[in-house]
Amino acid sequence: MKVANTDEIKRSNDLEPMVGKIVEILEESTDVKTFRISTLDDKKPFSPLPGQLGMFSLPMVGEAMFSVTNQGENYIDMAIKKTGELTDALHDIEVGQEIGIRGPYGNGFPLDYLKGKDIVFIAGGIGLAPVRSLIMHCIKNRADYGKLTIIYGARSVDDLCFKDDLFNNWPKVENCQVYVTIDRPQEGWDGHVGFVPDYIKEIAPNPQIAIICGPPVMIKFSLPALSGLGFAGDDVITTLELRMKCGIGKCGRCNIGHKYVCLDGPVFTLTQLNEMPNEY
Amino acid sequence: MIVIDKNKLTDLLDALNQSYQVIVPAKSADLTQFMPYDAVKEKNAEIILNENTVLSPKWLFLPQSEGMYAFWAKNKKLEIVDLPSDLEKMRIVFPVRHCDVQGIACLDKVFLDERHVDGQYLEKREKTVVMALMCNNPKDSCFCASMGVDRAHANNTVADVQVYDLGSEYAFEALSDKGQQAVEAIKALGSEKTVAVPEVKEQKIKVNIEGLPEKLSGMFYDSIWDSFMFKCIGCGTCAFICPTCYCFDINNKIRGEEGVKLRTWDSCMFDEYMLMAGGHNPRPGKKERVRNRFLHKLEYFYENYQMMLCTGCGRCLRKCPMNVDIVKFINQANAK
Repeated sequence: MKVANTDEIKRSNDLEPMVGKIVEILEESTDVKTFRISTLDDKKPFSPLPGQLGMFSLPMVGEAMFSVTNQGENYIDMAIKKTGELTDALHDIEVGQEIGIRGPYGNGFPLDYLKGKDIVFIAGGIGLAPVRSLIMHCIKNRADYGKLTIIYGARSVDDLCFKDDLFNNWPKVENCQVYVTIDRPQEGWDGHVGFVPDYIKEIAPNPQIAIICGPPVMIKFSLPALSGLGFAGDDVITTLELRMKCGIGKCGRCNIGHKYVCLDGPVFTLTQLNEMPNEY
Repeated sequence: MIVIDKNKLTDLLDALNQSYQVIVPAKSADLTQFMPYDAVKEKNAEIILNENTVLSPKWLFLPQSEGMYAFWAKNKKLEIVDLPSDLEKMRIVFPVRHCDVQGIACLDKVFLDERHVDGQYLEKREKTVVMALMCNNPKDSCFCASMGVDRAHANNTVADVQVYDLGSEYAFEALSDKGQQAVEAIKALGSEKTVAVPEVKEQKIKVNIEGLPEKLSGMFYDSIWDSFMFKCIGCGTCAFICPTCYCFDINNKIRGEEGVKLRTWDSCMFDEYMLMAGGHNPRPGKKERVRNRFLHKLEYFYENYQMMLCTGCGRCLRKCPMNVDIVKFINQANAK
């Protein structure tokens, strides 16, 4: 990597966020909310590629990295699960709250490589959040991609995120099939019951590209299911999450071997993962 | 080169202090470290030139705690404001040994990486003149030569002035425009002479790093880590005294409705370093953490920037309370 000549560089602090505001909050599930973020003058804070990340902060509490799950002309969306100190505080904020936002970070999904191909999206729980950015991109640019297959699972109906997309919007998209499963039977649910890896085997999608994101146990059992169906290492693509502080490969926290998830990731192919130490 | 008698050290520092904030190695509160010359005079501290300091000079560019921006938050409102620069004057640091000059070169790779140049770091680098001292009295724990540090010539991407220790005199050679200005400021104290680079005393410790990054890239799952993690108590001393350890945390200092975002030194040796919301920790034990620190220094950094993240300054060998020894590690890895 080349090191910059000090004369060429404009002075800047990449770690200082801009002030944005929450323009809408959607309740996705019992513990997931989508926050719609604009700048104070109603513009889009930044234009991420599908799969890229943003650093979202309540400066009094803290700052953390989240995937941008969707974007519009003047907003970005982040779907956030209540899991810790910052996300607890985020779940208490209301529309109109001013927040810190910076990004985009990371590599995003390899759009050129995906173009024209059939894609199967596999997600579990909140893992649909990063995958959704690519699904939305494929839907907006429908002619550029082949058949879309979405396989999504959660513990219960209450834990399913983006229900409107799953049951209303996506099934109406041309050449797009949506399969939803929950872990255990539940009253009022007449859909599929069972774990995602088994459901993959049952559906047996034709191998071309698989985009997968979810809890480690889902990934662990889904990968053999995918290779059983003939998916190759370069065609299984995942997006990782580690603790991050800076987002630009300097604070040191999110390294896996010599790669930084915030800079070289978060999107990696299975081939790349197999070459990296298993420290994630 | 400009040659100045060592007896004139005070005159030299006073002359530089006219136009620069001078930083010198000194002993304060029983700890040797780089301090502003004004503070040295005020505290009557002793300037230490015959050995390297316990704390490295990295704080000059990456302070232990540094404000990044201030914020004000009340109800739904938020304001974020830039902090003014805390550098009023040009700084000059005299003298920095070649191991520590190399340490700054390592930090440059990270903080001046053209993908994301760190503005605050850049400002500190631009506003500091580094006077590098060729060191001819290495300690028994020094091994910079083995780590590829040129003992006769400091890394000239960092050093602005090369200083040679001639026994009773110092010789100054400017390496950059900034350095030339500094040499001009002290020229009157000495005389122009042709000087031969002095002989350096050999270092006791010699390690072989030839092919080490490649070798280590195949040793992630090796049993060597089981024995090396054993002694480590995770205190983080090694990271804090290291001239190249640069990992940082981002923290708040809050008073009422106002706060400052700080970046502070951190260490991958701490168990909370990678702990995620929800409780997952990818490096849960000492073994994983010791492995990460050594591999970052000797393999990962090399893969990214083609240089080692260890300069052989020997500080961790001298100060680790448990004698976790990077030289011993390199030797054992080589023997595998």
